[in-house]
Amino acid sequence: MHELSIALCIVDIASEEAEKHTPARVHATHLKLGPLAGVVKEALLSAYELACEGTPLEGSQLVIDEVPGNVLLVSALELES
Amino acid sequence: MSTQSRMTPHTRLVEVRQNVLKKNDLQARALRERFADAGVHVVSLVSSPGAGKTMFLERTMTALSASHHIAALVGDLATENDAARLARSGARVKQITTGTVCHLDAEMVERALDDWKLEDIEMLFIENVGNLVCPSSYDLGEALRLVLVSVTEGEDKPLKYPTIFNTADVAMITKLDLAQAAECDRAVLRANITRVRPGMRLFEVSAKTGQGMDDWLEFLMLRASD
Repeated sequence: MHELSIALCIVDIASEEAEKHTPARVHATHLKLGPLAGVVKEALLSAYELACEGTPLEGSQLVIDEVPGNVLLVSALELES
Repeated sequence: MSTQSRMTPHTRLVEVRQNVLKKNDLQARALRERFADAGVHVVSLVSSPGAGKTMFLERTMTALSASHHIAALVGDLATENDAARLARSGARVKQITTGTVCHLDAEMVERALDDWKLEDIEMLFIENVGNLVCPSSYDLGEALRLVLVSVTEGEDKPLKYPTIFNTADVAMITKLDLAQAAECDRAVLRANITRVRPGMRLFEVSAKTGQGMDDWLEFLMLRASD
């Protein structure tokens, strides 16, 4: 279960990017995930919710785009305008 | 299959494109450079819990500690038991207790090395937390990664956990002395390892009887002198 560590990294990256766009609220973080990255999608989704607690990302969604290979990449932020 | 979101009309996308493990990868790269500069050969060990990492490492370190400056970091969720066992080899040993974290990462390794002078160490072993899933994502800056699988675990272990075998350089079949009792078909186990990772360097050892340890130690010393 290293999904929480992974989720914390995702929230770090997303928060850093989100700061550049304040005061826009983050609606969703978009992630590309390959089957060989060794990360379980369902576990990551619940871990993300936990990792967002108490951060400006609280209430945002994690949108996972399943791709081939070992990709584990924050691809984009979806901001509310 | 992809789970594309339907963007709501009031949102906009900004591109990020950042590898989630970039921070760890950068820290690991910096560590690797530090190790190279200081002349430390770093070997990490991963396996499921109970595959025999500590026993194997104890045997390896005891064989080397008379003639080489060696040290070890050992990761577990709790207790200092493994560090106490490894310290019997006479080498410098430090326990990293991770709490609830199921793997070591580059930052934990860096912190653990804080008060050690790397120039005084020729070879450093890093025993990861027993886990065949999570450690595969984290580069620790090691030069050589060993994955251990014991004859008691079932011949299909490599097929069930291919990722960890793919991130390792060497496979070590352990507890050879128990192979017959466990009815392990070693040929099948070996074939499954090379099916996941063709051409993977493979050793078979019993840390208890010492069988196969000489071949491994010879290989290790050769790699360290590269």
